[in-house]
Amino acid sequence: MTDISRRDFLKGLAVGGTLGYFAMAGVSSTVMKNAFLPPPKVGAVEIGECKSVKATVISETSWFNNSLLMGDMQKAGGLLVNQYEIPWTNTGVQEGWKGDNAGGYSTLIEVEQLDGKKRKFLLDTGWNVDWTDTCFQREGIDKMLSNKEIEFLFVTHEHFDHYWGVEATLKYYPDIPVIVPKGFYPEGFELLKGAEFTKCHLANKVPHTGPLEVRDSSKVHPVIPGVASITFDVPIITRVFGEQALVFNVKDKGLVVITGCCHMGIITLMEYVRETIKGGDNIYAIQGGLHISPFEDWDPQYDDLVLAIHKYGIQKMGCNHCTGYVTAEKMIAVNLPLVRGTAQNKSKRDIYLGNGDFLMI
Amino acid sequence: MNHKEYLWLETRQFQSRIKQPLQGIVNFLLVTAAFLICWRFFMDPRGTMRWYTPQYGYMYIRWILIVAIWQAYIFNFWPLRYSFMEKTHPLIKGAVLIGINFAVVGFMIWVFYYNFLGRLAIPYMSWPVLTSLGMTEFFAREYSSLALLMMAAIASWLSPIWPVCFENYPWDKLERPSRGLTVWAWTFFLATYIFLILMHPHYNVLFYPWQKFAAAFPWWQNFAHTLSGNFNVGWVMCGTISVWILEVTFERYPFCLIKKQPLRGIAGFFGVLIFALVMFVTFNFLQDLAWGPAVEGAKRLYAPDWRYLHSGELACMLLIPVLVLGFYFDNWPRKFAPSVNIAVRCLIILVSAAVLHYLYYKFSPPLLGTQPGYSHPQQFPMAPVILWVTIMLYHNWFMDLYPGKKLTSREQYLLAPDLVVNKA
Ligand SMILES: [Fe+2]
Ligand SMILES: [Fe+2]
Repeated sequence: MTDISRRDFLKGLAVGGTLGYFAMAGVSSTVMKNAFLPPPKVGAVEIGECKSVKATVISETSWFNNSLLMGDMQKAGGLLVNQYEIPWTNTGVQEGWKGDNAGGYSTLIEVEQLDGKKRKFLLDTGWNVDWTDTCFQREGIDKMLSNKEIEFLFVTHEHFDHYWGVEATLKYYPDIPVIVPKGFYPEGFELLKGAEFTKCHLANKVPHTGPLEVRDSSKVHPVIPGVASITFDVPIITRVFGEQALVFNVKDKGLVVITGCCHMGIITLMEYVRETIKGGDNIYAIQGGLHISPFEDWDPQYDDLVLAIHKYGIQKMGCNHCTGYVTAEKMIAVNLPLVRGTAQNKSKRDIYLGNGDFLMI
Repeated sequence: MNHKEYLWLETRQFQSRIKQPLQGIVNFLLVTAAFLICWRFFMDPRGTMRWYTPQYGYMYIRWILIVAIWQAYIFNFWPLRYSFMEKTHPLIKGAVLIGINFAVVGFMIWVFYYNFLGRLAIPYMSWPVLTSLGMTEFFAREYSSLALLMMAAIASWLSPIWPVCFENYPWDKLERPSRGLTVWAWTFFLATYIFLILMHPHYNVLFYPWQKFAAAFPWWQNFAHTLSGNFNVGWVMCGTISVWILEVTFERYPFCLIKKQPLRGIAGFFGVLIFALVMFVTFNFLQDLAWGPAVEGAKRLYAPDWRYLHSGELACMLLIPVLVLGFYFDNWPRKFAPSVNIAVRCLIILVSAAVLHYLYYKFSPPLLGTQPGYSHPQQFPMAPVILWVTIMLYHNWFMDLYPGKKLTSREQYLLAPDLVVNKA
């Protein structure tokens, strides 16, 4: 009895093992993948063309002391805690702005159309209102807003360092059209209307009176000829959800992608552009935060990115902010075309584009 | 005469206090409520302790699990007396055993790793040491937690293999505590050794600059298309789940048909490994079907390493119905031939796991304080799922499935008071 069942068993094991082997080999083989997975798509959406695009870094120093910022998150309970619930340190920070650890992220975009007409938009609006306002004055943004030269505010995502300084913009142009990605929480909309959140030391004293548009991920949204926006349904730290980016088609150069934090990942973004937008196989330049090691933390996944990004043939990489210095050093080490900055206006190093630096394509 | 000490768990005989299926439903609801309360108190980012930062809390969850396995399967509840196990009210017994569990976890993490191994051997196993070396405290804690939780994960795959597949061979004739100590030392040695192969290279590339003289380069990069140790996390999780499917759903079938050791153990070990790898590859492929192939260097849904991790997470979701069916519904059905019973159970488990997967991603944000979406880089469905699992194990192993069931007398097993159980 035992012998028979043992023989049966071994036979079963042999059959099972062989089947298992073929299942594994089959499932992982390219033949199976080709049979079951659709072929990669080629971008078809036309976004038009523009002559040039210039991105000026108004501020990329989102905060001034990294370990203080991490300490705030740690004390509040880590990376998943709602950003409106965290008592961010806003006094007594030596390297901060007037003692406040908050800085912010904001970029001015200038597009020259094929007919020579210049168009201006604001991408993100910082965190610390006082700091953002100071940067605005340094770059002349205050005047551009007051005389409505800047056409709209494009908020990449709801993060504190990109959105909470909205008062700095509204102060000069309260009815500015605002575009946000789908995924904003009620607090985000309340802030726009002029709310105060005491726990996280946040307030907006100038209620927004202009049009507000929420963009979802269902399609490529046209902006002006040669410019479009794309949205990603992406969960982000501190309970944020959704991020959008801008894509430009610069005549004779190729596509240019400008991001805020790029929480969706720069490669995911480029793959999406390639599959969706006409000309997406030629991404000429990227600019913005590439959200790799914002807190100078690391994950071997980021090395995967540094090692894989050269396949995309980008000619110019303007990055800063949450890209992280470690990432920048690693990118330079593998000869990626990083554009250097000048380390002014409280940007600490010239390894990438800092406050007041610009990228012109 | 084949004289050996049984696992206390195997000798238990139950009486129902409540009729099925009400019994199962009541017990399951109680355990789920306990899980939600514990999650809210210790882990939830909106709760009291907020340990789910995420790695720090996740580490404690993995450790209470492995220590529970040690207590029940390796040490056979030593140093507690069998008469205590037998006669104490389940709630008091549960409190004592959970108290021991927490104390051992605290000792292992705070004394053994943070202040002994971390200081004298491997800095990344101790966040106080990493912090003193100049690392931001938050990441020091997260990185070291990842290392320690992987230690526990590998141990919870290997440790049960000895009692389940090898029946503690070649130490099966030993009694408490010698057998427990020996099997513990052996499986813990194996786990440490395998940790060095599967996870230590991850730490080569985690630090800047790369620590190439101290750890091997991630050897899996060429075929896994990532440097991240998540590749190993994924399949090790599938391995852990496979052991428990073999133990609970398959009731050690068909390996129990092999009477001789170590043949049975070896067949069981490789059987589990093959089953785990097939599961891993299948889950990876299902994700390719759902979202398209992973892209090297991408993040989130398209990151190869996240896909591997998610395969492990999917495997974890299988474990919930495995245990619920096994613990609370008497592993229904039992009336057919073993292979038919197992096939029906597998079907129930697959369907329930799919339902659970859907419900988890729909309701975990309001219920557990997690964030919506599949691929949040800072959250791991494994953490709540394993906490839920561990509480089910506490309930079964430490509290004899109170209040749905109660222990009956086991006089036929107890020949010598409080010691040896004889095989008939
Ligand atoms: Fe950012
Ligand atoms: Fe961000």
